[in-house]
Amino acid sequence: MAKELTEAGLSVTILERGEDRHTAETGAYPNSIDELRGSVRKRLFQKLSRNSLTIRNRIDQTALPYRQLAAFLPGEGVGGAGLHWSGCHFRVMPDDLRLRSATIERYGKKFIPDDMTLQDFDVTYDELEPFFDKAEKIFGTSGEAHMVQGKPTGKGNIFAPNRSSPFPLPPMEDTFSAAQFRAATQELGYHPYSMPAANASRPYTNPYGCQMGPCNFCGYCSGYDCFLYSKASPNINILPALRRDPGFTLVTQAQVLRITLDQSKKRATGAVYVDLNDHHEKTISADLVILGAFQLYNVHLMLLSGIGTPYDPHTNTGTIGRNFFYQTITTSRFWLPKNRHTNQFVGAGGAGVAIDDFNQPDFDRGPHGFIGGSPLWVNQAGVKPIAAASAGGGKDRPRWGAQYKSDMIETYKHSLNIDAHGSNMTYRDVYLDLDPTWTNAYDQPLLRMTFTWKDNDVRMNRYVVDQLKPIARAMGATRTELNMLDYNQPFDSRLYQTTHLGGGAIMGSNPRTSALNRYLQSWDVPNVFVIGANAFPHGLGYNPTGLLAALAYWSAHHIRTTYLTSPGPLVPS
Amino acid sequence: MTHHHATIPSRPSLARRQFIKGATALASAPFWRDAAARTPPARSPDLSRFFTSDEFHFVESASECILPHDENGPGAQELGVAGFIDQQMQTPYGHGELWYRKPPFVSGPPELGYQLPYTPRQLYRNGIYSLTQQCLRHYHAPFHQLPQDTQQLVLSHLETGALTLEDIPGPTFFEQLRNNTLEGAFSDPIYGGNRDMKGWIMMGFPGARADFMDWINQNGAPYPFGPVSISPSLSMTIRE
Amino acid sequence: MMRRYVSILGLCALIGGLAFSPAQAEDTPSVAHTVPPSLMEQGHYQAILGDCMACHSAPGRPAYSGGVPFALPIGTIYATNITPDPIHGIGTYTEADFARAIRQGIRKDGRTLYPAMPYPSYARLSDSDIHALYVYFHHGVTPQPVSPPPNRLTWPLSMRWPLTFWRWFFAPNVTKAQQRTAAEFTDPVLARGAYLVEGAGHCGACHTPRGLTMAEKTQTAQGGSSFLSGGGVLEQWVVPSLRQENRTGLGRWHEDDIVAFLKTGRAPTGISFGGMTPVIEHSTHAYSDSDLHAIARFLQTLTPAALHEKEWQYDPSSRDALQRADLSERGAQLYIDRCAACHRTDGRGYGTVFPPLAGNPIVLTKDPTSLIHIIKEGDTIPSLSTAPSSFSMPGFKQTLSDQDIADITRFIRHAWGNDESSVKKENVKNIRSKK
Repeated sequence: MAKELTEAGLSVTILERGEDRHTAETGAYPNSIDELRGSVRKRLFQKLSRNSLTIRNRIDQTALPYRQLAAFLPGEGVGGAGLHWSGCHFRVMPDDLRLRSATIERYGKKFIPDDMTLQDFDVTYDELEPFFDKAEKIFGTSGEAHMVQGKPTGKGNIFAPNRSSPFPLPPMEDTFSAAQFRAATQELGYHPYSMPAANASRPYTNPYGCQMGPCNFCGYCSGYDCFLYSKASPNINILPALRRDPGFTLVTQAQVLRITLDQSKKRATGAVYVDLNDHHEKTISADLVILGAFQLYNVHLMLLSGIGTPYDPHTNTGTIGRNFFYQTITTSRFWLPKNRHTNQFVGAGGAGVAIDDFNQPDFDRGPHGFIGGSPLWVNQAGVKPIAAASAGGGKDRPRWGAQYKSDMIETYKHSLNIDAHGSNMTYRDVYLDLDPTWTNAYDQPLLRMTFTWKDNDVRMNRYVVDQLKPIARAMGATRTELNMLDYNQPFDSRLYQTTHLGGGAIMGSNPRTSALNRYLQSWDVPNVFVIGANAFPHGLGYNPTGLLAALAYWSAHHIRTTYLTSPGPLVPS
Repeated sequence: MTHHHATIPSRPSLARRQFIKGATALASAPFWRDAAARTPPARSPDLSRFFTSDEFHFVESASECILPHDENGPGAQELGVAGFIDQQMQTPYGHGELWYRKPPFVSGPPELGYQLPYTPRQLYRNGIYSLTQQCLRHYHAPFHQLPQDTQQLVLSHLETGALTLEDIPGPTFFEQLRNNTLEGAFSDPIYGGNRDMKGWIMMGFPGARADFMDWINQNGAPYPFGPVSISPSLSMTIRE
Repeated sequence: MMRRYVSILGLCALIGGLAFSPAQAEDTPSVAHTVPPSLMEQGHYQAILGDCMACHSAPGRPAYSGGVPFALPIGTIYATNITPDPIHGIGTYTEADFARAIRQGIRKDGRTLYPAMPYPSYARLSDSDIHALYVYFHHGVTPQPVSPPPNRLTWPLSMRWPLTFWRWFFAPNVTKAQQRTAAEFTDPVLARGAYLVEGAGHCGACHTPRGLTMAEKTQTAQGGSSFLSGGGVLEQWVVPSLRQENRTGLGRWHEDDIVAFLKTGRAPTGISFGGMTPVIEHSTHAYSDSDLHAIARFLQTLTPAALHEKEWQYDPSSRDALQRADLSERGAQLYIDRCAACHRTDGRGYGTVFPPLAGNPIVLTKDPTSLIHIIKEGDTIPSLSTAPSSFSMPGFKQTLSDQDIADITRFIRHAWGNDESSVKKENVKNIRSKK
C-alpha cells in the first residue's frame, strides 16, 4: 500500500510498533536457523508484555488475558505477519466472495443457521483478478495454472478460477510426503494440485526490481525471515525499493495509540503514538490514514479511536468487532512403514499438494448440512525437533518416559502430517470489543475476543477429516490418527492452531452491517482505509494472505484513481 | 538444606561407551568426532547460576524421567538439560518478560490459558520447594533421591493434576518442566543443551545446515548427512 | 578506490593534501549565469563518471565538501572541499584553473596536488567534458562554507615539493594523452570505451600494477599488457585483472555480464564485494547503458597478460560426490555444512543472488586473499537504484577456526574444475579484521 501511494506521488509515513528488520542482518545464515530463538521464544512475534488481548469462549464468561503466545502468533516489527508467514499464496473461489447469495441460491435461506451472520464481500472475483495477478508477480509466486484466459493450460487445480496470466514461477517440487499424497489422491479420483507458494522455485526479480533467491526447502519459513530471500515478504519484495523512495518514511518503535479525529468525528487528522525510544507521546498529522496493523489491532485501533460504532451482540447493532472469525484447522497423521523416511525437516512453508474436492463450490453440502469447506493437504513445511518432541508419538500415547521417546523418534522419522484447513463462519455472539478490566502498557483497554467453535464448522471439519480414511489406506499407512474438532469443545487458547484471524471490521454493501465499503474505506470516517483480513466477512478454506494482498492492491488502485482526485466516500452511504 | 555437590550420579561409563559406539556407527564422516570435540563441557551444579544445588538435582533427575537414557540414545542428563534450563532462567524468558503479566490474576477454565502471576523462575523456585516438602513428608527423601519408579509416580501425579504445588496446579508445573526439558534436549548446542548434538543424532535431525535442494524427495530414503550446529565454537552463549 | 591508491603512495612518502587556505582565495567568485540544463546534466554525469564523490563526500558532511580521511602510516590527510564556496572550496577557480587542476594536478596557487587525485587519468578528459564539469561544480553544486579537518603530517613528510618532480616524471602531457586515447580505435564505441576506462573511470588506479615509483605501469591499452592486469592486494582484497585471461580475468564474461556487474553490482558470473562495491554504488551504476557497453567492449579487446592459462572447464566430480553424500574430500564436510545452502553443491550459486564459486575469477587467482577475506568477514552488496535488494554473505570468523576456513578455501579452489593451489592455516591467520 505504501509503495502504491508513494508511486502516486504522496508522502507516506509508516508507523511501526516494533523494530526494523533487514533479512541480511536479523535473518542471516546460519544464526537464524535456530528453533529455540525462532519458533519457541518467538523472536518475530508480538511482545505480549506491551500489548495483548483477553479471551473467553462465551458471552457469560469473564475473559482472561492471553498471557503466553500459543494459539495464534501476531507479528511485530517491520514486515509483521508478512515476514513470519509460511508462504501459502492462494486466490479465492469466486463463490466464496458471495457465499451468502450462493448458499441461498442453491440450498435456500433456511440452510443458513439462525445465529450465523453470513454476508457477501461485495466484490467479485473478476473485479479482483488483476490484483491477484499483480500480487503474485510482486510475491514471485510459484504454482501451476489450470485455466489462463479461458484456455486449459496445465495440471493446476481444476477447481481454480480463470487467470489472466500463468504463475510467475513454476510450481515447487513435491517432497516425498507430498508426492505420496498426490499419488494416493489421484488414484482415488480426487484432483491433487501443487499448492501455490510464495516461496520462489527459481531466482526471481519482481516488477519493483526486488530480487528473490530460490527456495532450497530448508524448512525455516513460518516464524523465520528466510535467509535465502525466497519467501515473499515486505522486507524482501517491497521495502528494498520503497526505502529508496524520498517520499517514504519509516518510523519504528512507534506504538500508535489512536487515530485522531476532528470534532465532527467524520475526518481523521492523524495519529498519536508512543515513541518507544524515549517513551514520549507524539502526534503526526495526515490527510489520509491507512490502518495496516494485524487484523486484531486494526479493530482495536478503531475501537480506541472511536471510528464507527462498536458492535453489540445483544442488539445486533454496530459494526466494529462484528463478524469475527478464525480458521478451522486440524492436523491428522499417517505413519508409513519403517523403511520409508519422511524426512519431515525438509520443507517449504507454501509448498505441498492439496485437493479442493471438499472446498470447491460444486461439492454438494446439502446432505451434510454445513456451509463452508476445507482443502486437505500435505504441506510439509519443515518440522523441527523441539516441535516434533513436544508433539510426541501421537494422542493417547505417553507424553514422557521411555515409551514416549521411542514413539516420538519413530513418529519423527516415518510419519507425515495432513491438514484439514477449513473455513470458519461468523456468528452473532462471536465478536471483538474492549475489555473492561485489563489494560496494555499504555493503560488502554485490551481487546476482548469472544470466540468458540460452532456446530456448522465442527460438522464440516469432521466430515472432511473423515475422508482421509481411504487416502491413508491408499498411501499404505501403518497407523492413522485422524484429528477433528469435537462438538461442544471450547476453543483452546493454549494450543497453536493458526494465526488466520479475520473479520471484526468487515467490508460490505450496507453501512449498518459492515465497517468498510467495498474499497476498504471506513463508512464513518472516509479518509481512513483499513487493510487486513479484518475486512473478510467470513472465513475461507484457503489461507487469507492471497485475498488480503489482492484487496490491498484493489483498494490502493481505487485510492489512486478515484479518491485522490476527489477525496470523499467512494460509495454513498 | 543439605548440599550435595559431590553426589551427582554420573552416567555409567559402559552405557556411555556403548552409546558413543552407536552414534559413531551412525555417522558417515569424521564430522561427528570434530563436532563432539568442540562442544562445551557439561554444566554442573557448581556452575549453576539460578538453581541451588538441590534445585539443580531435582531438575536433573526430573528431566531424566521425562527423557530417559535408553537404547535409542542419551537422556536429559547426558544432554545437559538441567544446565540449559539454568541458563534459560537468566534470559528475558526466565524473567517472564515474554509474557503479559499485568494484574489482576484471576483463575479460569484451562482453555483460557496460564493465569498465574509467576515467571518461569518463580514457577521453578516455588514449585520445587513445595514438591520437595511433599516428597520429604511422604517419602522422607527429596525427589532426586527417590527410586526411579517413585519419581515417575510423582511426575504422573503432577501431570494429571492429582498433585498440586501450593497454588501451582500440577499440570502447569509439569508442562513447564516438560517443555524446557525438550527444548534443552533438542535446541542448538549453542544454548548449552543437546550436548554433542546427540539429541539431534537420535532424532535424525540435521541441524542448522538448512539446505535440502538436492534432497527434496529421496523416495523414502533417509537424508544422508548428520547434524551441524550454528556454531560449534560458540560455547554457551546466552541469547534472548 | 582512490583510498587504496593513496595508501600505496603513503609507502613512498609522497603525501600531502589538496587544501586551499583562505589567504589563497583572492579572486572574485564566478558570477552565476543561466546554464542550459543539458550542459548541467552533462557536467553532473561527468562527476559521476569520475566518481568525484568517492573522495570528496564524507558521510555526515555536505556533498563534495571533502573530509574523507586517508589514514596512512605517516599521518592522516583529508580530501578537500570542491564545492563553489570561494573561501573553503574552489569558487575562485577559473575554468582554466579548474582544467589545470583536474588534468595536470596543479593547484590554482601553482603547487602540486597529491596524486591521490587521479590526474594522470583525467589528463585525457576532453575540453567539452571539462567545461561541463566546471559548470556543474560552479552552478550545480551548493557552496559549503566548511573546511575538512587539517592534515596531520609531520615534516619532512608534509613537504609538497617532491610531488612536483613526481608529476614531471609521470603525469602525461594533456594533448598527447588525449590524442593517444582517441587514436586507439576507429570504432566509435571502442573509442568511447577507451576514453571512459583510461580517462574519467580511472580504472587503472586500482587495476593496473604500479612500478617502484608507485606510478601505474601504463595509463593506456597501448602501453602494454600490464594495463589493467590486476593491481595486487589492496586492503586485503585482490584486485583482479580486467583483461581476457580465461581463468583469472574476464575471459569468460560476456559483454552483458560486465554491463550488469557495473550497473547493478551483480552478474550471473559474479557479485561485487570489497573495494569495488563503493565504486559501483557511487559511480558506475549511474553510467548510461551505452557507456557501460562501450566499456565492456573495450575491456574485451584487452588480450591476456597472463599467457598460457589453461581453459577453465567445469568438472562435475566434486558435485557428484557431494550429492551422493561422499564427504571424503578435505573441506567437503565444511562446505556442505556452511556454504552449499547458497552456493550449491554444484558450486554454481544462484544467478545474481548468490554468486557462483565454480570458475569465478576471484576464486581462481593465485593469491587466495579475497576468498579467505570474504569467508572470514562476509560482505554486503548494498541497495542500488538499479538493483534495490541488498544481499549479505555472513562472516564465519566467529564460527569457524582458521584451519576450517583454510580447508573450505582449499575445497572451493579445487572443486568443479577450479584446480588452484592449496591454502594454509597461516594464510587465513594473516588476514585480520579491520572492523
